[in-house]
Amino acid sequence: MNAAAGLDLLSIPDRIQSEVQRAIQRSIKGVEYIASSGPSLGSTPKDILHARGTMNLYHYRAVADEIYRVPILIVMATTNRGYILDLVPGQSFIEFLLKRGYDVYMLDWSAPKPEEKSLRMEDYVLDFIPDCIRQVQRDCGVTDVTLIGYCFGGVLSLLYGSIFADGPLKNLICFTTPVDFREMKLFQNFADRRYFDVDRLIDSAGNVPPEMILSSFEMLRPASRAASQVQLWENIWNDEYVKSYRMFDRWATDTLPLAGEYFRQITKDLMWENKLYNDAMSVGGRLADISRITAPVLHAVAEHDHIVPYDAAKPLIQKIGSSDKQEVMLKGGHVSLVAGANAIKRLWPKLDSWLGERST
Amino acid sequence: MADKSNDPVAMWQNMIGEMEKGFNAFANQAMASPEFSKAVNQVGGVTAGAQKQLGDMMEKYLVGMNLPSRAQMVGMAERLQAIEGQLGEIKTLLHQMQRNSGAPGGSAGPPRPPRTRRPPVAGGEPK
Repeated sequence: MNAAAGLDLLSIPDRIQSEVQRAIQRSIKGVEYIASSGPSLGSTPKDILHARGTMNLYHYRAVADEIYRVPILIVMATTNRGYILDLVPGQSFIEFLLKRGYDVYMLDWSAPKPEEKSLRMEDYVLDFIPDCIRQVQRDCGVTDVTLIGYCFGGVLSLLYGSIFADGPLKNLICFTTPVDFREMKLFQNFADRRYFDVDRLIDSAGNVPPEMILSSFEMLRPASRAASQVQLWENIWNDEYVKSYRMFDRWATDTLPLAGEYFRQITKDLMWENKLYNDAMSVGGRLADISRITAPVLHAVAEHDHIVPYDAAKPLIQKIGSSDKQEVMLKGGHVSLVAGANAIKRLWPKLDSWLGERST
Repeated sequence: MADKSNDPVAMWQNMIGEMEKGFNAFANQAMASPEFSKAVNQVGGVTAGAQKQLGDMMEKYLVGMNLPSRAQMVGMAERLQAIEGQLGEIKTLLHQMQRNSGAPGGSAGPPRPPRTRRPPVAGGEPK
């Protein structure tokens, strides 16, 4: 070893050979990448239990010989597709839950059609979620239900839980759920009421186009897309890296439009007036005060979440009325908290140990 | 083991990572300003306005060509959606009736396991 330069001279020929091989592999795999489609996502066997407009209720087929009494209903964020929680075998949160003996249902969203532009928060909180809960109860014959809400699905679950505080909510689990919308600083700036005319946008566009939702997410980290493409090219010889890249990239760009009136309410009530944090949120004239929730609550937040910063999510546990409540902060970002290698190691086992003893 | 601090490939990857972080931080600072919000929303407002005008013009053109207007298509879509919803409800009811009747193959999927599972004792099998 050359001590002065710190270079391992003996390894240089090996390194050059390895880099030449990788360069050749990049060319071959690069062509394959363009010519092939990505892995099939969301393939855990399931049945459509109920579908109405933008709302789809799935029931995943049990794989364990014996399951917990209380079923789980996952409420997906309205901006994204639910298959982030069911990527591929071995990297699927749904598969993990099924193997650990849970009975799993998911409320997932299709793109709202132009004629669904008038859907409001009331439709989501007072109609879609209660309707799905009724379907789950009827299907499994159990009254109690555990809700798991991801991101804005967590906000909808919180609103539901606070309005229907007397049940049938048995447990509530939120992933990266914002409560203090003042702390979503960049989104606040994008939606600055002095310059952002939400009425004009909705009155002209109807529903909020998915491109706009995607751009607003990407603007939070404007260099990351270009950097990730450079990293993809460097690692294109590595099949596992490419598979993972394609899964996450496909999901991240598969953004849903948002119903116009619903977006108008989110902007005015949550972004501008911060009503959820200020205990002033109401849905359809019914006060949605999260201190009314007394069911056990687990809130999982990510240390490096750039979409829902910790300060925006922190008040959830402080404000919730339950005596059995816990916040768990895990390494990772907004997506890696719930999916991928990070989640397999950290969040999923934590959730299982918390929920198992509350699901009998 | 090779010294990563002098590996040109590792240095390049590190540089890309640092550049990404630096640019993101710089852009986030710039985007936090009211001027940015004003500029972005002005551009967005103009685009939305132009889209609306184009939509109105297309509507008039379609009426002139004796083609169904957007409102008529939306009306038809609403009716189709209502029919789809009713079909879904009928399907669910049929599945329920099949299950309740106890007929062979009477459930939507394979038989359900019993809901008797207990959480595992520390580091072991279910209780």
